[in-house]
Amino acid sequence: MTREEIVEAVNTAFEEMEIPREELTPEKEFFKDLGLDSLDMVDLMISLQRKFGVQLRQNEEIKKVRTLNDIYDFFVKLDAQRNAGDGSAK
Amino acid sequence: MNGGRRVVITGCGVVSSLGNTPEELYSRLVAGESAVRIMTEWGTGQAAAPVDLPESEVRSIPRSKRRFMGRVAILSALAGRKAAESAGLSEEEVHSERTGCVVGSTIGSTTEMESSFRTLLVGAGIADMSPMAFFKCASHTTAFNMASLLDIAGAVYSPSAACASGLQAAGIGMAMISSGIQDVVLCGGADEVSPLVSGCFELMEAHASAEGQPPDRIARPFERGRNGLVCGEGAGILVLEEYEHARARGARILAEIYSYSSCRCPGSVSQSDSSSILRCMRDVYRQVDFTPAETDYISAHATSTRQGDKAEADALRSVFGESVPVSSLKGHLGHTLAASGTLEIIAVLEMMKHGMLIPTRNLEEVDPECGGLDHVREPRPCRIRRVLKNCFAFGGINSAMLFGDVNE
Repeated sequence: MTREEIVEAVNTAFEEMEIPREELTPEKEFFKDLGLDSLDMVDLMISLQRKFGVQLRQNEEIKKVRTLNDIYDFFVKLDAQRNAGDGSAK
Repeated sequence: MNGGRRVVITGCGVVSSLGNTPEELYSRLVAGESAVRIMTEWGTGQAAAPVDLPESEVRSIPRSKRRFMGRVAILSALAGRKAAESAGLSEEEVHSERTGCVVGSTIGSTTEMESSFRTLLVGAGIADMSPMAFFKCASHTTAFNMASLLDIAGAVYSPSAACASGLQAAGIGMAMISSGIQDVVLCGGADEVSPLVSGCFELMEAHASAEGQPPDRIARPFERGRNGLVCGEGAGILVLEEYEHARARGARILAEIYSYSSCRCPGSVSQSDSSSILRCMRDVYRQVDFTPAETDYISAHATSTRQGDKAEADALRSVFGESVPVSSLKGHLGHTLAASGTLEIIAVLEMMKHGMLIPTRNLEEVDPECGGLDHVREPRPCRIRRVLKNCFAFGGINSAMLFGDVNE
């Protein structure tokens, strides 16, 4: 996937949580800027699992993300690992 | 009349298959409309009376609150908000610790339960399940979600007694106000239609067969050819208020609640019996200073089952004979289960306002076993001052309430 495709898929997951696209800029923090809470984040992870075909519950890296850009970077890195044949993120 | 503080109804909110305001509900009932249709989306061939809920209305609940709500809680929350608005309660009064809420449903959101079990057992398992499932499926989902939307600070209770839940909620709310625990209580019930509940009723032979019948003819309370109930959905919420509290704030008083009673049917959890219904009705009259014959209208439970309608008719005949008009609204709305008690009271409040009794729909030939009553079979002008409302539930639960004009 290209970074643009990843950004689009992630942004769609946030839109499904009724956050307008115009608010989805890379520096936005989920809790502080987008008004989400920990329960929202669980639902968001489920949506992202389905979109990217991965399991995220036991993933330590995803627990560190704070901004939209963090998530974009996470999935860009994940995609690169997959393409390299490294399935460790799964 | 019961020795405690007087309790009046000062507001009501409805979400129903025949309209989302009391006025629309009344006008469509009196026009003889039916909301029953074949649920083709279920693939079971069953009929039901679903609510046509505009997405804009659902979205009017902020996502931060709505994310905890399945359909049944959305129905309840919307009706509760309408009820609070109708009562003219200020935000301060709604948020007061003297204002509570008592709302029940037969079960949490069955749609969400089915979806969750599919994910858990057939799909990807618990890793793919939303934590919101708990809040949508919990037994008290209608009560806490309505209280959350309205930001109610008082007591929150959620009686779950199937088809008697709504009337039980009103009875509990009445007791809370009468005894001084709260000054205002939003009370009622809600249920969503689902193949799970309709299917169980069919297995018990309580659900009507849709075969060979136009959908709007399937539910036929008290009728000779009736063969079961049809499930409906909706929510009916009443604002109950202490009489002096209502007077002091200049509230519009819709009716006074005179008495409430509930008792168990000792013989069976699945079949009502006339002797315990009789006991329940006698107890509501024991608490008041007028006789059964001085009642102007009986809003029957009568769901269109063979056994239940007969048991209620037997009890009504022994108390009232042909002296008091009787009708059931289940031919129009189906059986809205937990919502039925308060939703049908809201319809009766409109009947009182318009001075018109709504007939039992589809009652072409009264079953001789349900005879000896004054069945309302066409719209009938009537000065309605005192009303008996009956609700009976699987589990062997009877409930009855008397309400009407304010005693000045």
